[in-house]
Amino acid sequence: MTAQLSQPEPTVTTVTTVEVVTNRERLSGVVQSVGRRPDDIPRRWWESALVFGLFLVAYAWFGYWLVVDMHVVGFETLDRFNRALMIWHNDPPKLSSVGFDYPPLTILLISPLTVVPALASSLIVVPLASAVFAAFTMVTFNTMMRRAQVLAPLRVVVLVAFGLNPLVALYAASGARHFMWLTFVVAALGALFAWYVTADIRFVMIAGLAFAIAALSGYSSLLWFVVSAIMVGAILARLGADGTEIEGTTVGFAAPTVYVIALWSAFNLILVLKPFNWITASSDSASSGGLESFSAVELLEYTGRLVLYGAPIAIVVLPALVFAGIARRNGLALWLAVILFLSIIVPALSVALKITDSPMVMRNALPILLFSMIGAIWLARSAGEGATLVSALLVAGLIISIPWTFQAMKTYKYQGLESTFAAAVSTRQSQEGATTPDGSTVGYVSEQAMARWIKDNVTLNSSILTDNAQTSAVILLTGDPALFFDRVDKSDGPWLAAAKDPAAHVDYMLLSTNSSADLLSNLYEDAVDGSNAFLTEAYRTERYVLVSVPSGFRRGADSLGDQDPAALSIPGQGITTTPVEAADQ
Amino acid sequence: MTTSQTRTTTRIGDGVDADVRHLIPEGICRTFRVLPYAVVDGSVLVAAADAEDAITEQVVAERVDRPVLLVRHTVNEIVAAIDEAYPPVESEVETPEARRARMQMAQMLTRSGLVTAEQLRRAMLEYARTGDPLGDILVSHQAISEDVLVAALSELHQLQRVGLGDFEPDLKVARRLPEPLALRLQAIPVAESEDVVLLAVARPLADDDVTEVQAALGSSFRQLLANRTELDQLIQQVHSVHYAEISTRGLMESRPESSAHVVITGTQKAVLVMTVVALVLCGVIWPVNTLIGIVGFCSFIYLIVSVYKFRLTLRALGTHLETDVTDAEIAAIDERHLPVYTILVPLYKEAGIVQRLVRDINALDYPRTRLDVKLLCEEDDDETIDKIVSLQLPPHFHLVVVPDSLPKTKPKACNYGLQLSTGAYCVIFDAEDRPDPDQLKKALLAFDHVPSNVVCIQAKLNHFNQDQNLLTAWFANEYSMHFELVLPAMGAAESPIPLGGTSNHFITSTLRELGAWDPFNVTEDADLGIRLHREGYRTAMIDSTTLEEANSNVGNWIRQRSRWNKGYYQTWLVHMRNPIGLLSQTGLRGFMSFNLTMGSAFVLLMNPIFWGLTTLYVLTQWGFIEQLFPGIVFYAASAMLFIGNFIFVYLNVAGSLQRGEFGITRTALLSPLYWGLMSWAAWKGFIQLFTNPFYWEKTEHGLDEGSS
Repeated sequence: MTAQLSQPEPTVTTVTTVEVVTNRERLSGVVQSVGRRPDDIPRRWWESALVFGLFLVAYAWFGYWLVVDMHVVGFETLDRFNRALMIWHNDPPKLSSVGFDYPPLTILLISPLTVVPALASSLIVVPLASAVFAAFTMVTFNTMMRRAQVLAPLRVVVLVAFGLNPLVALYAASGARHFMWLTFVVAALGALFAWYVTADIRFVMIAGLAFAIAALSGYSSLLWFVVSAIMVGAILARLGADGTEIEGTTVGFAAPTVYVIALWSAFNLILVLKPFNWITASSDSASSGGLESFSAVELLEYTGRLVLYGAPIAIVVLPALVFAGIARRNGLALWLAVILFLSIIVPALSVALKITDSPMVMRNALPILLFSMIGAIWLARSAGEGATLVSALLVAGLIISIPWTFQAMKTYKYQGLESTFAAAVSTRQSQEGATTPDGSTVGYVSEQAMARWIKDNVTLNSSILTDNAQTSAVILLTGDPALFFDRVDKSDGPWLAAAKDPAAHVDYMLLSTNSSADLLSNLYEDAVDGSNAFLTEAYRTERYVLVSVPSGFRRGADSLGDQDPAALSIPGQGITTTPVEAADQ
Repeated sequence: MTTSQTRTTTRIGDGVDADVRHLIPEGICRTFRVLPYAVVDGSVLVAAADAEDAITEQVVAERVDRPVLLVRHTVNEIVAAIDEAYPPVESEVETPEARRARMQMAQMLTRSGLVTAEQLRRAMLEYARTGDPLGDILVSHQAISEDVLVAALSELHQLQRVGLGDFEPDLKVARRLPEPLALRLQAIPVAESEDVVLLAVARPLADDDVTEVQAALGSSFRQLLANRTELDQLIQQVHSVHYAEISTRGLMESRPESSAHVVITGTQKAVLVMTVVALVLCGVIWPVNTLIGIVGFCSFIYLIVSVYKFRLTLRALGTHLETDVTDAEIAAIDERHLPVYTILVPLYKEAGIVQRLVRDINALDYPRTRLDVKLLCEEDDDETIDKIVSLQLPPHFHLVVVPDSLPKTKPKACNYGLQLSTGAYCVIFDAEDRPDPDQLKKALLAFDHVPSNVVCIQAKLNHFNQDQNLLTAWFANEYSMHFELVLPAMGAAESPIPLGGTSNHFITSTLRELGAWDPFNVTEDADLGIRLHREGYRTAMIDSTTLEEANSNVGNWIRQRSRWNKGYYQTWLVHMRNPIGLLSQTGLRGFMSFNLTMGSAFVLLMNPIFWGLTTLYVLTQWGFIEQLFPGIVFYAASAMLFIGNFIFVYLNVAGSLQRGEFGITRTALLSPLYWGLMSWAAWKGFIQLFTNPFYWEKTEHGLDEGSS
């Protein structure tokens, strides 16, 4: 500082109440690192890009084989892709196709993959929808391991061992949505991991943003968000932060998630007058009613099985985290233990509270497995010089669990496509027509055949009336949702009116043959079984029937008036077409 | 504890202990003729020419954290040892004559009781660091007045003095010495006879300067010592017409294409008219499609401006982008090498905060003797001028009275002050600014660290009264985002940076080459940032903050912000006169960056229209509005409404967190209300662009609670 001489400075006549402090003074009591970058691992874009690229290619390639060759893909996945396709290619394009059945980002995030309809209808892009997110999860794990000072060769082995886990491979390659929200939750936890290590406040913001995306990708993320928000505040308080810093940081962390949930609730309020419709109507949390009942002992038993078969490393990681948290006063370890424990008990809790329609399913082990990984990485970091040993144990656990989980997937009672996946991998044969343990039929040949016929024979937009909730796979496989008059086009009211007077609106009706949930099939049961004299069958597959709607036809009418359907038949083709199409030909 | 003795068994001639010889900095060793040379029985032996001198004792004791024993040695012994410990650089070592003059000055002032021992000690210490004249140091700290110093110098140099306080110059005589020379040498002819000119000088001229002056005058001259403040005022008075002409018309005449004195050129008017005609025609023929096209275009602008800003902020959140200057580097600065630094402070009707301004500038960690502070006042602002005069400020503060003429703008005042600047570097501070004390040094070091084409270092701005009310908190949120995230990212990307209004540090010579500020542009700072980029120069950011007063009054805030927006429109119009030229000078990235940055001011104009349409649609579900947003336009607009808006709210949060301003994080969540005010101001500025383009909406300062 420049020396101050004793000559008084010009007198200040009024007293300021605004205390002006320099940056250095202002930040002296702040426990986090703000306005500067603390020491952290060096950035290695190439390494992250390499991990991302390799896993993306691997899962996409494997997914192509699984989905396109083996036909192992869930109905829900095809439904989401169809909704995404409608965002761009409906007539007019419809953002409302997102609906409330799924968390909105599970559709919006895959919508770029459906910009080119041919790619979407070929299902080539389906595996990408999960592979991208799984690959990103691997990048997050790799970065966490770098922060944990795990050696590069060990990191590679850990990632490969984890990536080969059959449960991970199935959900990473089949286009399922579960890796979406898990990716963002893992990214958020990874950011908080980095925050705990570096005290850099940027990571709190990154975690907050990641949780916001996760919340709209999977509502169960909200649980981890709440736990994390509490822990951020608790950790800061323990470090001696003042109230302003705790409040400001927590606001910064929570704002994105609170905002997206508030916005989504507002949408629900405006559109269906039920602000919490998103959670009550969601397939994530809504009980379908006909649940198998579980006793407490059974819940405990299946929770144990879930962990034992799906994420066996949790059996070691959880006690180790608790020990490190309590005995070594390791705050993050304790927090991770809480998260891991919650992930283990949540499936049973959701059954007990009746807020799930897929109780104790094997995919519930996926979050347990991912959180166990995070816990194990933190244990490696906390072990100091023993990091290599902990990493090696993790590798061993992951490798052993590959065949273990694979075998369990074949026989586990509550599951989705796990056994089909295992069969496909074991036999290398298409699973078309196979039945899952819950009674669903695997495959989409029936949908493909119907879609192909429609593409070949129908050109007029909005000429096929259908309940898209049940026929979405067919719509997707045509690649042209504009051909269909569905419940997305003009909402349910006009669609129901059209369903009662189809001749005034469409030329065909597409009905599913084996779904009691198909509103149109319920209205025209006789058309489904081929007994309606007026609704002649244009094309039929095992699961769908397309019927022609003659002019003047009304639901429940005895005759068609003056119209003679035979007059509009095209000789030799056995199909009925519209006057416009006939004129075109 | 310090004791002294004249005889000891260990002498400096026996050798200097390498562990202790650098315990005292070189400047102090040479100034006080001391050098630590050995450790005996736990005491550091320090050779001293005047071991009994109390000041020397105190200075040494303050710098050595062990018991000290001053041991008398001869001057020759000590100087030789110092030369060995600190090999001398010829130009930096005080000559015997200079030393003699300094000692005489010190003795004269202390013996006459004009300075106390403590004042002298502090001045000597500053001298040891800077090597600046002792008398100047004492004056700069107001230990003695300039008149006392002039009297002492007059005695020392045997020169006559001249009082210029009420002097009415003969302009013909005064202008015999060319203005650049007069300014550089601080000299001006005050009278002449047939064969000799009487030349008032601030300090006796060096031989080379004498030759130069003689050649310029074409006759011999006699030097008269004058008070620097009075001399400075006289030079301004004599050359004010010239300064006023340059400050107003300099850029307009040298680079008319860069001057905003014409708001819209003929070509721009033609393009504008043709566009309007084409839109009207299309509107008549295809009304809905035309409206859809306009809505689509606006949505597109919205989207790309937002994406650009978001990309910048994300980059800043991920990396430290400011030019790094460490505390150690600042501590290691050799103040003898510090250049003169000019600080330009435009003031208008701000008499109330002059005292605070003086206090804050004096608090800067920079030798006052190397500061050149220009307090730029408008001629009609008697109150501020009187206040400055009444404070009898030391000569590093220069009152600069800008003659009353149009346009009466801050850039014109800065141009005026720049012509009088003597600093190698210069910076603008507003009257209410409170820069971090080490900012000047940080900027200097930053100039050393950056590539040679960086001619401007921008410090961060923020507010000291952010807690005063919601408006000031929002303002602080906005500044936190802008200066913590947006500008560092732009600087790192070498994009054209719209400079902040103050705390931009320039290389003075380059600033002059560029034509300085455009007096007709009401955001001359933003315009200059673009202009210097077009010339191939760049701007970098440093991590140093200047605290300003945030506007706490809505009306005052609207006035200030409307001016900023008007200036953005002006700047855009000026630089888009020749888009191809701009593109070729800045490259595609720079061109896009400029347009997207300026585009934010246009987005503010669109905001109320889109908000209105959205509200109307929610309330009425009017099909016509739905028609205006088909497909992709609807998606873009929805993305902006639901995602874009939140992102910008959150970036305000992020900026505040990044700065460690936790107390205003929650107010950032309410920033959409602030955007409403911003749009109001934008429309005001836009309308004023056509009705009163050069009007400077003055911001009233001192509205913070307890302004002093």
